[in-house]
Amino acid sequence: MPTGELLSPLLLLLLLSRPGLSISSAAVLISSPTSPPVLGRIGVSVKWQKEVFPGIEIDTSQPPIVFKSQLYTLTGVPPERQKIMVKGGILKDDADWSTLGVKDGQKLMMIGTADEIVKAPEKGPVFVEDLPEEEQVVALGHSAGLYNLGNTCYMNSTLQCLHSVPELKSALLSYPDTVRGNGIDQASHNLTLATRNTFGDLDQSVRPVAPLQFLQTLRKKYPQFAQQHNNVYMQQDAEECWTQLVYTLSQTLTSDSSESAVLPMKQLFGIDLVSRVHCAESGEESTETESVYSLKCHISQDVNHLHEGIKHGLKTELEKASPTLGRTAVYTRESRINELPRYLTVQFVRFFWKRESNQKAKILRKVDYPLELDVYEFCSDELKQKLQAPRQMLRDAENAKFGLKAHGKASSSKENEESSSSAGESSSMDIDKAESYLPKKQLTGVYDLVAVLTHKGRSADSGHYVGWVKQDDGKWIEFDDDNPNIRKEEDILKLSGGGDWHMAYICLYKARMAESKS
Amino acid sequence: MSPPENPSPAAPAEPSQPPPPAAAATGKGKKKDEKKDDDLSEEDLALKEQLELYVVRAQDADPGVQKLALESMRQEIRSATSSMTSVPKPLKFLRPHFGTLKSYFETMPESELKKYMADILSVLALTMSIEGERESLKYRLLGSEGDIGSWGHEYVRNLAGEIAQEFQKRQDDDLPIDALMELVQQIISFHMKHNAEPEAVDLLMEVEDLDLLVEHVDATNYKRACLYLCSSSKCRTQDDSLALDIAYTIYLKFGDLASALRIALKLEKSLQYVKQVYTATDDLLLKKQFSYLIARHGLVMEIDDEIAADDNDKEVLQEIVNNTKLSEGYSTLARDIEVMEPKSPEDIYKVHLIDGRGASSSLDSARQNLAATFVNAFVNAGFGQDKLMTAPSDSSSSGSSGNWLFKNKEHGKASAAASLGMILLWDTDSGLAQIDKYLHSNDTHVVAGALLGIGIVTCGVKSDCDPAFAILMEYIGKDDSNIRIGAILGLGIAYAGSQKEELKMHLSAVLGDSQSPLEVLVFSAIALGLVFVGSCNEEIAQSIIFALMERSEAELAEPIIRLLPVALGLLYLGKQDSVEATAEVSKTFDEKIGKYCDVTLMSLAYAGTGNVLKVQKLLGICSQHLEKGETHQGPAVLGIALIAMAEELGAEMAVRSLERLLQYGEQNIRRAVPLALGILCISNPKVNVMDTLSRLSHDADADVSMAAIISLGLIGAGTNNARIAGMLRNLSSYYYKEAAHLFCVRIAQGLVHLGKGLLTLSPYHSDRFLLSPMALGGLVTVLHACLDMKSTILGKYHYILYIIVLAMQPRMLLTVDEDLKPLSVPVRVGQAVDVVGQAGRPKTITGFQTHSTPVLLAAGERAELATEKYIPLTPVLEGFVILKKNPEYHEE
Repeated sequence: MPTGELLSPLLLLLLLSRPGLSISSAAVLISSPTSPPVLGRIGVSVKWQKEVFPGIEIDTSQPPIVFKSQLYTLTGVPPERQKIMVKGGILKDDADWSTLGVKDGQKLMMIGTADEIVKAPEKGPVFVEDLPEEEQVVALGHSAGLYNLGNTCYMNSTLQCLHSVPELKSALLSYPDTVRGNGIDQASHNLTLATRNTFGDLDQSVRPVAPLQFLQTLRKKYPQFAQQHNNVYMQQDAEECWTQLVYTLSQTLTSDSSESAVLPMKQLFGIDLVSRVHCAESGEESTETESVYSLKCHISQDVNHLHEGIKHGLKTELEKASPTLGRTAVYTRESRINELPRYLTVQFVRFFWKRESNQKAKILRKVDYPLELDVYEFCSDELKQKLQAPRQMLRDAENAKFGLKAHGKASSSKENEESSSSAGESSSMDIDKAESYLPKKQLTGVYDLVAVLTHKGRSADSGHYVGWVKQDDGKWIEFDDDNPNIRKEEDILKLSGGGDWHMAYICLYKARMAESKS
Repeated sequence: MSPPENPSPAAPAEPSQPPPPAAAATGKGKKKDEKKDDDLSEEDLALKEQLELYVVRAQDADPGVQKLALESMRQEIRSATSSMTSVPKPLKFLRPHFGTLKSYFETMPESELKKYMADILSVLALTMSIEGERESLKYRLLGSEGDIGSWGHEYVRNLAGEIAQEFQKRQDDDLPIDALMELVQQIISFHMKHNAEPEAVDLLMEVEDLDLLVEHVDATNYKRACLYLCSSSKCRTQDDSLALDIAYTIYLKFGDLASALRIALKLEKSLQYVKQVYTATDDLLLKKQFSYLIARHGLVMEIDDEIAADDNDKEVLQEIVNNTKLSEGYSTLARDIEVMEPKSPEDIYKVHLIDGRGASSSLDSARQNLAATFVNAFVNAGFGQDKLMTAPSDSSSSGSSGNWLFKNKEHGKASAAASLGMILLWDTDSGLAQIDKYLHSNDTHVVAGALLGIGIVTCGVKSDCDPAFAILMEYIGKDDSNIRIGAILGLGIAYAGSQKEELKMHLSAVLGDSQSPLEVLVFSAIALGLVFVGSCNEEIAQSIIFALMERSEAELAEPIIRLLPVALGLLYLGKQDSVEATAEVSKTFDEKIGKYCDVTLMSLAYAGTGNVLKVQKLLGICSQHLEKGETHQGPAVLGIALIAMAEELGAEMAVRSLERLLQYGEQNIRRAVPLALGILCISNPKVNVMDTLSRLSHDADADVSMAAIISLGLIGAGTNNARIAGMLRNLSSYYYKEAAHLFCVRIAQGLVHLGKGLLTLSPYHSDRFLLSPMALGGLVTVLHACLDMKSTILGKYHYILYIIVLAMQPRMLLTVDEDLKPLSVPVRVGQAVDVVGQAGRPKTITGFQTHSTPVLLAAGERAELATEKYIPLTPVLEGFVILKKNPEYHEE
């Protein structure tokens, strides 16, 4: 502890620099603290935090502020922030020492800090609770669920899966309230509007949404969904709902070409197939082109993987009248993809009409599907040619990103998985903001899984449908009607069938785009 | 503890039948039992015939022959050996002659011989008298009053049982009992000499003269006798203090002062007894040990000249009593266990262990941040450092502590500022300094929180300078009600149990001020209740009652109002009958609150007493079906737990009763059941209770499940129990969408890791013998607030949770040497064994492990020194224990 003498010069300076303090008070302080107590002077010790300052003299003829400035020099705590405990409370600046009963040798306690006073940050944090509801959605990390309105899970799961397509959302947003153009019937228009509104509700709400309007218009447009059994609306096939909805939207949304930013449904979901129809007997051969909205994955005894199923689905045999043979003959029809969509829909043909039981029966066979799907082998030669360059670019980009790893080890599959999924994310994020640079982005034939519609149960018209949708952060959400649950990627791959668990019925893949370097 | 039962006659002897002439009887018996006699061995047959001869001779006209016969008979009886299953042979063979001898006795003239005869009859009555006749006693009183023990232990026990009955009867009939008491004296001295202290105490309790015990105990048996006295006092429904008083006297008599002090603290008017203990010794070291116990108990006491004449000694003792060293000891413990490293709430949540969930958004949720504030405060309580509030302030001047503070919203900021108090708990020196800067904030919530924080820091730690009082008093008159509440609640916490007169004046003034907003009023009442806990202070009771009476209908409907009856009840906490006058007044209240108040008062007044009758009464209240949506059944359920928690057996029964309520009770009862379970097993995670609560935590009723979650935290408080932690983690993912539930889960997680597992919330200490009223008061207040969580801790009064600090104590054993410096010695820590009423020196712990101090003690654990090198100054090794070198110890 520095002694009073050592402190004095500094003390004096400090005191002189403080206005309102006379020299006389400073002079008091200079007097040695060890001198015996004189009348009017009391020696006390002061405890401050963990330190004790012994032998401090109080001149009782001076106001306590003098004492406080003494302490100021010792502790650096400004007098106005010093709290000195005396009998009956805190020492006031204008108190009279004689009434306080401070005795010689008493221990006083001082509280106070020279620390900066905490100030509120200029910009306070934003709390989730303060946000309007639609912004809480963002915070929640996923959109709301949909109420089941009585066997409508087929519709809910379909809507949730389609809702995951941002381009569709933006296309719907620009859809006008009134019917335009011709060839669009009122029912289709209403259904499109209802879709738009439902998507809007989903985006804005944290609570589950009841898609009443959508259901009504859907049933108006497609009365088969209003089938009743025992006065209860029946369960329906989700695939049918999906197909009809996409079809309707393709009708309504493509009709207007004035807005270029909007991708027509065709570009989003449409797959152009070129098929070679060949008759082995006659040697006849013809090519046909057609546009479909989904690839079928046929499931037979020897199909264990999605690839095999698609291959199977693209090659069909059909009987038709052969003009050369003059009778019906067996033709093989081999289809190739001629144009790829932004979103590839793959349907597992799990249901077939079972005559004996008169219902759509289900194939429970396990068919694995990948998180990353390459459809290059299903493409026509012409398309393959076109894909060459973008695919190379994509590979380069990915290698550049994970270059060292790829070279270093014989790249373990896991790393590949990671790299591909993260690359997929980055490209998907880019798409939203950079739609106008579309030409720069090119399809590569590589697709990432973004949504799965699953079915649980033994027939298409019964059981339960659930939508599983990938979020921007890589997490998956299981939309079980009004109850969204967070899932992991492993859970998604478990939906490949082979039991009574949910199994994939429709998979929605999103194209991974290659960005030209320019 | 039950009076010794009369040993039921081994054979269906019928002594009441008219006795047949002796000769005929023998002849007849011979014929009849001829076959039976064949079974007897030669020896037995001879004995039998011998005895029969004595019986005949005893009725001889010649006194000489008579005397000889009686002497011989007596000799036979005494020398006979008996076993547990058979009646001694002489008694057996004499049985048929009991009636004969009895009738002959009546005809005998008053003489020595008659007394002799009476003695023998008294012994024979042991097996032959029909129950309720008390013939053994009768003949004993007529007998020669010889050495009572000469007839064997069983005889004495039987006699004791008969005395108990006779005493009762004579009391009723107003007959003199002098002769009985004479006998009692003999019996007691016999029992005390023969390791049968429980029987002696039982008999004395029956004859309502425990004082006698003091004369008969000696150095070898006083411990067992006192142990039995103390534990039997728990089971009495009235004047339980009598037994304790005697135990106290005995301990004093034998100089076992530390034990005497424990009892003194349990008794009413503790202070007087405590001083007596202090003055009974000149050993300063012992006095220091006493001071540690007093500090742990939370008794506010001033060391005066009587206790320690020397000023220096006085200062040292006062320092210990003031708990000044608690923070230091706690840090020693923490350093030894290596848990000084601050933990962040994320370390507790362990999100990475939860599947899938935990999608934390980039945005701050005010509620989750508030939860994190509490978790941070609970987990780092008393360590002086954390990762949110204190850590960065040293490194940068701007201090991101401010940042965390302002990551809380409005009232949340108050709790955040107050959390600093929790982190710096008991460390008044640096604690007050760190909180001080927040007092200069221009945000009223921050100031309010800082004031509350000052209260929390000084909780249980007293100082001559009274800094908390000086600072907080400046603020209780401010305009802003948040600041006022902060200051008032801070005072309540800081001075809980101190009965500080100045506070009574100031806080009563707030209470009486009709201008005070309701919330300020309620918190003043609570603060008063805490400061004057268990004081039965009439003045304060009056002012709370007036405050209650003056409330309007609308105000009475406010949920926070339920704390007013609690405040009133706190004044009578554990004081039993003393509450009656106030309870009468409460009946006149508005019906909305009257019933609630009545039940609350009763449950608090009998809290920690184990009074079975009151438990029954409360169970009765719970069985009613209420139509008008009354709420008083909640406190009734809590009351069952509060009363029954006093001792193990009662607590277990209460758990079962509560299960029943859960099944059949109505919703408002079910909501309180989890909380009741929580207080019953506080900081004591019993598996069955844990399972029940885990089940309830998924209950469909939100209030039930939230209460269950909080209670999971309470039963696991400060234990780091892995199973509860796992349950809570799963709950956090189960309820990740329910903000309110999630908040409760977080709080519970914070509680489980309270003080990183070094603290306990149990109000019981010193071998579960002493109940700290402050701790219980704090818990009760929080629990009552939890009865309506939505409007209290989930609303803006979440800082009520900080009241729990009153119950927070390190669950440690810290041994110190004669200079009060930590001293590491090996100790055995194991499950405590109940040794009450056991003869000899049974092991007091089982399944022990040897550690070196400082060590943690879990619920139901006990420690004993594993070395002979030191002698502890207190029989109960808990908290601070001073060790003295054993002079007889020789290093090997």
